[in-house]
Amino acid sequence: MRINFWYISSFVISLFVIIPILTVFSSFFESTSNYYQVLKDTFLMEYIFNSLILLVSVLLLTFLIGTGSAYLVSFYNFPFSNFFKWALILSFAVPPYIYAYSLTAFFENYGTAYTILKNLFGEGNYNQNIPKFDGLLGVVLSISFSLYAYVYILARASFLYQSQNIIDLGKNLGFTKFKAFYSIILPAARPAIVAGLSLVAMETLAEFGAVDFFSINTLTTGIYNSWIAFDDLAFANQLSFFLLLFIFALFILENLSRKNAKYHFNARSGFKQKQKIQLSGKKAFLAFFFCFLVLFLSFLFPLSQMMYWTIKFPENLFDLNTLDLLTNTLYLVILSSLMLIVFGLVSNYGNRVNKDKTLNILSTLSISGYAIPGVILAVAFITFIAWFDDSVVKNLGFISIKKVFIGSILGLVLVYFIRFYSLAYNGIKSGYEKINISVDESSYLLGYSKRKTFMNIHIPFLRNSLLFIGILVSLEIIRELPITLILRPFNFETFATTAYISASEDLLEAAAVPSLFLILIATFFIIVTSKYILRDNNE
Amino acid sequence: MSKNFFEVKNVDFNVSNKIKVKNVTFSIENEGDVICLLGPSGIGKTTILRTIAGLEKIKKGSIILNGKTLSSEKVNLEPEDRNVSLAFQDNSLFPHYTVEKNILLGSERNKEKKEKKINLKEIVDLLDIFHILNKYPHEISAGEAQRASLARSLITQPDLLLLDEPLSNVDQSFKEEIQVRLKKILHKLKITTIIVTHDSYEAFYLGSKCGIILNQELKQFDDPYKVYHLPNSVEVVNFLNRGILVPAKVTGKNTLENWDLGTIEGNFIKEYPKGSNVQLLLQPEDLEHDDTSNLKLEVVDRKFRGTNFIYTLKTPSNTLIPVFVHSHHIHQHEVDEKFGIKRPIHIDHIVCF
Repeated sequence: MRINFWYISSFVISLFVIIPILTVFSSFFESTSNYYQVLKDTFLMEYIFNSLILLVSVLLLTFLIGTGSAYLVSFYNFPFSNFFKWALILSFAVPPYIYAYSLTAFFENYGTAYTILKNLFGEGNYNQNIPKFDGLLGVVLSISFSLYAYVYILARASFLYQSQNIIDLGKNLGFTKFKAFYSIILPAARPAIVAGLSLVAMETLAEFGAVDFFSINTLTTGIYNSWIAFDDLAFANQLSFFLLLFIFALFILENLSRKNAKYHFNARSGFKQKQKIQLSGKKAFLAFFFCFLVLFLSFLFPLSQMMYWTIKFPENLFDLNTLDLLTNTLYLVILSSLMLIVFGLVSNYGNRVNKDKTLNILSTLSISGYAIPGVILAVAFITFIAWFDDSVVKNLGFISIKKVFIGSILGLVLVYFIRFYSLAYNGIKSGYEKINISVDESSYLLGYSKRKTFMNIHIPFLRNSLLFIGILVSLEIIRELPITLILRPFNFETFATTAYISASEDLLEAAAVPSLFLILIATFFIIVTSKYILRDNNE
Repeated sequence: MSKNFFEVKNVDFNVSNKIKVKNVTFSIENEGDVICLLGPSGIGKTTILRTIAGLEKIKKGSIILNGKTLSSEKVNLEPEDRNVSLAFQDNSLFPHYTVEKNILLGSERNKEKKEKKINLKEIVDLLDIFHILNKYPHEISAGEAQRASLARSLITQPDLLLLDEPLSNVDQSFKEEIQVRLKKILHKLKITTIIVTHDSYEAFYLGSKCGIILNQELKQFDDPYKVYHLPNSVEVVNFLNRGILVPAKVTGKNTLENWDLGTIEGNFIKEYPKGSNVQLLLQPEDLEHDDTSNLKLEVVDRKFRGTNFIYTLKTPSNTLIPVFVHSHHIHQHEVDEKFGIKRPIHIDHIVCF
């Protein structure tokens, strides 16, 4: 094994990301407080039950919405199908907690729904007839409509790469459209759909804002409480460890059920571009209606609710230091995304050129950060810095480094980096998987060094993927709540924290303005890059 | 220092620590010579090329180009530092660049070092790829991609060019023409080349020498005529599949006797003591058809090959013998009919094992 620049870079990056993750796992062996006993005797079963129900419901709903809409826009032409193709990813702009604010604002007693009915039909006792989407149902809807786009994007990309040949084969075997979808198209897209669902699962179990807003007790709440109320970090970590085991078990099971089936397309056998089917009449209307409903519920509804409140209570707009919030948010986003893209890229390339087992294991471990709830990661980071400062830095006679990392932009960006590293790393990795290794070899044989191959061949090839990952990561950072809440410097606010603080003080109207800005910035990001996202998919 | 331009000495070629071809030794005497390596699929031909290109390492032996060691137990020059170009069998064009840009990337190598012996236009004309220059690799056929890849390798003007099944995806109708053009261009550029193929006709046409790889070994390395007519082992005979071995007894300096065919005369390649029992190689062109002959054998099969027929004849001892007859021969013989063999049987070079 020849140690080179790429090996060392990749090694150091992975190691850095692993440290706080290891801190979480090492706490597993520490003794816990009485909280465990208290919880076991009281709410533990409720936490587990709620988490399970939440997870299963969200997975089911995101699967139906994400796969269904992806199927329609990938295989059929109907009115506005080209518009929906990118518009359906706009839901990314609305984080679950803002969706939760919108649901409450619309359906609560004397809320927006009531106002609409009153304006249409005059005064009346409508409150008892307006359904209430709060509690567990509210959380499920908030998370599902916000996160289905993960499944949508990945399923759509997979559908696009399906060759007309396999669809023709289905026709040749006499399959109906439903049968072809069920037995050919869906199984072929299975890995992509599962990848999307796994992201949804991790986000759901780590979700803090919406769960907290609707006061639902889940394992995540348990984790938060054990740290905040009982100061029992070890038990918090143990709970999150079980959470992780649960997710892993789910996906190992899925993996085993695949057995030896192969899902990737064999490029040598020839790819035939798909012909989209033109829908007309009732079918076209139904396809349009389904996509419009998804777009309306996931994006237009929360957007208009937040707009309505902003217009209704304009004083909140003037009370807010919008420019500061915008600068702070963008500052964090740009810094973190750049760092994630650059280091994710270097680490991937290091793994690719070295093909070293140790490096591979280290990288695999390093991407588990995404599955660890932000709360835990932030606390683990503080714990590690405190330990490092006390046991190493001070012993060596240096001044304390706590202030450099805790309550600072640097600390915040570093924890974002750890939290979203797997997103960047895996995203770039999937881009890399499209580059056959013989492309690298051809480049070497044309006299290009490893650095030149990286700069001149890989980066241009991955350009669109990188932009896509950059946007995905940016969206995550714009929406991120618990890490920002815990680690931000004093008096440093973003749109997300401002919205959260207002909502937790029961000032939902005030939360509308930062929420609206958050949605608008995220929407702008999505619109600007949507053509690249789609071009990346070979369209 | 060795006088050969390129040398492979006692090399074990491996992939993932598994030996594919062992103890290989061969050389290319002059710069500009073209040699071919022939063997069945999966035997390790590609591994040999990848190792010479520096994509795989060796643990035994040495590979030397123009006096410089490229690979040995201790030395392993990186692929980018070898000035060796490899055109892969499968499309390895950069998918995000057009065909033209792909080829031009190749021309960046050696742009300062060497005089330009060929430019883009010439290479494009020779390989007939003008119409795909502005297309992306996914928009062209496998055969076109192979020609584009070949163009990219040629334009680099490497010290050593390695071609892995360069025409395997090219249409049969176009293949011979491309072979002619390829031979011309390699000659013109004076590029030392190793071509790997499983097509013996391609190897015999393009290579001044041919290596036959079978059962993890380089069995024979010689000029094409000798490889075909004077195979050095039963494995090579079986691989080329153009003859059969029949039992015979050496009866004199220039004669031997077969139970079914009688006396056969000719020039022995190797001396055998009188009376020794041997296996005689009979190739389809060794026996001549003669309707008037009294040596008649039964036709069991007839293959039409355009320019000729190959009749399979059954001897009294149930041996099946192939015989070549020009397709313009005055009449044809049906299965079960009798087929005359000209006597006395004379074989130019008698190969026995």
